[in-house]
Amino acid sequence: MSTTRRQFLGTSASAALIASLAGVPKAALAQSVSPVRALTLYSRAQAANPQQYQAAELIAQAWGDLGLDVTVSGLPQNQLSDVVWYNRDSWDVSMWQMVGRPERSDPDDFVSNLFHSANIESGYNFVGYSNPEYDRVAEAQRLVVDRDARQALIYEAQDIVNADQPYVFLVYPTKSYAYNTAVFDDTTLVNQPGLGIKNFLSFIAVEPKGDQKDLIMNVSNELNAINPYYISGAGDSWMTELIWDRIMRIDADGLPTPWAAESVTWNDEGTLATIVIRDDLSFHDGMPVRVEDMIFSLESPQRAGVAPMYKPFVDPIVAMEKLDDRTFTVELAQPNAAFETSTLSKVNIVPEHIWAPLLDALVEGETAESVLEDSRVGSGPFKFDRWNQSEVVLSAIPDHFAAAKVDRVIMRVVLNVEASLGMLRSGELNFLTDYTGDPQLLKDAADADDSIAVVDVTDIGFQFLGFNCRRAPFDDPAVRRALSFAINRRLIAGAAYNGFGRPANSHVSPALPFWYNAATEELPVGIDVATAMLEDAGYSIVDGQLHYPAGMTEQY
Amino acid sequence: MKYVMSRLLYAILVLWIVGTILFFMFRLMPGSPLAAFIDQTTTLEQQQALIARFGLDKSLFQQYTIFLQNALQGDLGQSFFHRRPVTEVVMEALPNTVILTLSGLVVAYIFGVLAGAYLAWRRGSTVEGIGIPLALATRAAPEFWLGMVMLAFFSFYLGWFPAGGANSVGLEYDSEWTRIFSVDYLHHLTLPVLTLAIYLQGLPLLLMRSNMIEILQEEFITMSKMKGLGSRTIVLNHAARNAMLPVATAFALGIGSAIGGNVVVETIFSWPGIGRLLVNAVSASDYPLAQGAFMIITAVLVAMNFVADMTYHLLDPRIRHAASN
Repeated sequence: MSTTRRQFLGTSASAALIASLAGVPKAALAQSVSPVRALTLYSRAQAANPQQYQAAELIAQAWGDLGLDVTVSGLPQNQLSDVVWYNRDSWDVSMWQMVGRPERSDPDDFVSNLFHSANIESGYNFVGYSNPEYDRVAEAQRLVVDRDARQALIYEAQDIVNADQPYVFLVYPTKSYAYNTAVFDDTTLVNQPGLGIKNFLSFIAVEPKGDQKDLIMNVSNELNAINPYYISGAGDSWMTELIWDRIMRIDADGLPTPWAAESVTWNDEGTLATIVIRDDLSFHDGMPVRVEDMIFSLESPQRAGVAPMYKPFVDPIVAMEKLDDRTFTVELAQPNAAFETSTLSKVNIVPEHIWAPLLDALVEGETAESVLEDSRVGSGPFKFDRWNQSEVVLSAIPDHFAAAKVDRVIMRVVLNVEASLGMLRSGELNFLTDYTGDPQLLKDAADADDSIAVVDVTDIGFQFLGFNCRRAPFDDPAVRRALSFAINRRLIAGAAYNGFGRPANSHVSPALPFWYNAATEELPVGIDVATAMLEDAGYSIVDGQLHYPAGMTEQY
Repeated sequence: MKYVMSRLLYAILVLWIVGTILFFMFRLMPGSPLAAFIDQTTTLEQQQALIARFGLDKSLFQQYTIFLQNALQGDLGQSFFHRRPVTEVVMEALPNTVILTLSGLVVAYIFGVLAGAYLAWRRGSTVEGIGIPLALATRAAPEFWLGMVMLAFFSFYLGWFPAGGANSVGLEYDSEWTRIFSVDYLHHLTLPVLTLAIYLQGLPLLLMRSNMIEILQEEFITMSKMKGLGSRTIVLNHAARNAMLPVATAFALGIGSAIGGNVVVETIFSWPGIGRLLVNAVSASDYPLAQGAFMIITAVLVAMNFVADMTYHLLDPRIRHAASN
């Protein structure tokens, strides 16, 4: 008959009780096991992200019940990046987030990049999770073109992550957007899965009702750049996708559809795309968009050091060839199910006549990200007018094949969240696109004002806590599972996110219903469950402090 | 002349010390400056190349020497965040900040001087009983709270003033001058200026009042009364003129400190000025920009100190004599 660890620990616990009654110090009994060190849980600063900070406080409290001494440390974004992203061996646990973007409508970006062991050193896998089985599944899903077969692999990837818990997924935030119904015909707004009404399709489709023909939106941070080779934050990516066209775009159903291309057809192997471009495209400076521009746009980020942010997306391309003035081919080394979404719908079409000389002039260590190209000529439905500390102004191109119904898109920089809400009510804004304040206030404002409508959406992105899987005890999946299950996600969604978030346990959001594995929702929760799991794994709580299994020590 | 030279040398010394402190302070701050410049997919080799390009691989002393040489030539470096020369970025925001600060100060000091003189003249009356606590309360109220109250009442409730920015949405101007002298700019300027003025009026008001009370006891005031001069003439022409000397100094110094204090007002009203730049630069570890913005604020403060010294020197013969002796 075998004895489980739990039974054994139960026995030793009884022995401890007897011994303590007999006057033997507990410390003497705990000699063979060493305690887990005090931990620092990093988070964004309380003022910058109160929800995340409060969630961290709740987690620290729950883990305290498991015998962990956790201190929450709030840091500004850049310092947090420095501690967690750039010094990957030195931290234990940190709050983090992944944000939703149109190209993330395909699960590939998260499934391939977040947990693949190839990205441990400097890529997205900053938690250092390594599982060969996961790597296999993540790679396999890229090669499968059949949607149902790929779905099974994406489900499997989610199951593996659920079993290993490299992250404690917390919530898929609910994002709220609001607009003025007196200014816009609400039937013309496009609600895109995971993105809501603030998306490219809405901006070109929305119809003004009266004399106000400007769409005036807000952004709550200073803009860093407006550059087709660089995404420095949320605000500038909303501008770049309007100024620069892409070969494909993500449609209202979340799937890629030809945009600047008339058609994109694949060979049977799924390795060669033949792209026919539209014949009515021109750049904002009047020059036609040629096949050469398309090839240049896909080829230039492949060069070392030109556009580090875009390079991973064009790396699968092994060759391109111009067939005639409107047709070219793109060859991949192997089939890539996400290529249309993560490459053809993401890479900006830039004018070769403007960018080629600029890229040639780059000096060592300089990338296209630091190039200040003031004209910002693209071929999109809006052209760049101006940008100052207060606003970015784009004006519609009337003869674009998908001409917008509004005259201009103006993005105001409003640092004060409360002021942005007031500005929506006063008409200084008519589309609230970046609201980070209390969602209830927004609801109240909409209730009080008939001309304000609020649209909520569950995000493709998510909030999570990352374990540093390189460091004990987080290198043990059993510990990660126990610590994860000790956290009540419903409490976090309710208390920290005021109910504006959906409890999460997967890196694929329910905003992508076809790919979302609902089975991951069934997870045990509670301190008792977590304690039992830790004891099963050989850990013990002595004097209110979590200890490693016998014989295990840490070197920190 | 000797006095002017000594004050000038003193001003340069202060600038050098502040510049040195700023240089080392920002480099001792936690957080890599590159965090602001590179994104999370940049490879380690690219990071090294960037470090070399910005001279961050050189010793701290070498970096300091380069900083001093460049600063002497008016070159404050390249902003990591904006990727443009610091001087250019700062100079874009400076007019907005100077206009906001000067307008706020002028309103605060005109009101403060008049109200202070009036309250001193009406000493012991009910007006003083209400006026002094009110001035103290507004002086003590947090600036952000004051700003939010102003926004809530004048902008959101009454709808008289816009809630943020320096110009109406989408308006374009031929030049910076036409923009600054437009009615629209004035409309946007009003609330931030009022907030700043309410926040700043306490000092001149109380200073003026206490000086006035002192001067009203002086013999020459009794003499004026005996001569049969009217109250207004005595207060404005005789007492107030004498009481204003320290207020003039406070005004000059106030310009410098108010530029730094604008951070809060500029954030609340999304006013595109140096304060906002500064907050952003510090949180993004943008050393050159933060240094540059602080240096400009210091330069303004030192320059205003110099002007105050000179004005005092001209206005008050006692100081002039002391300096020449």
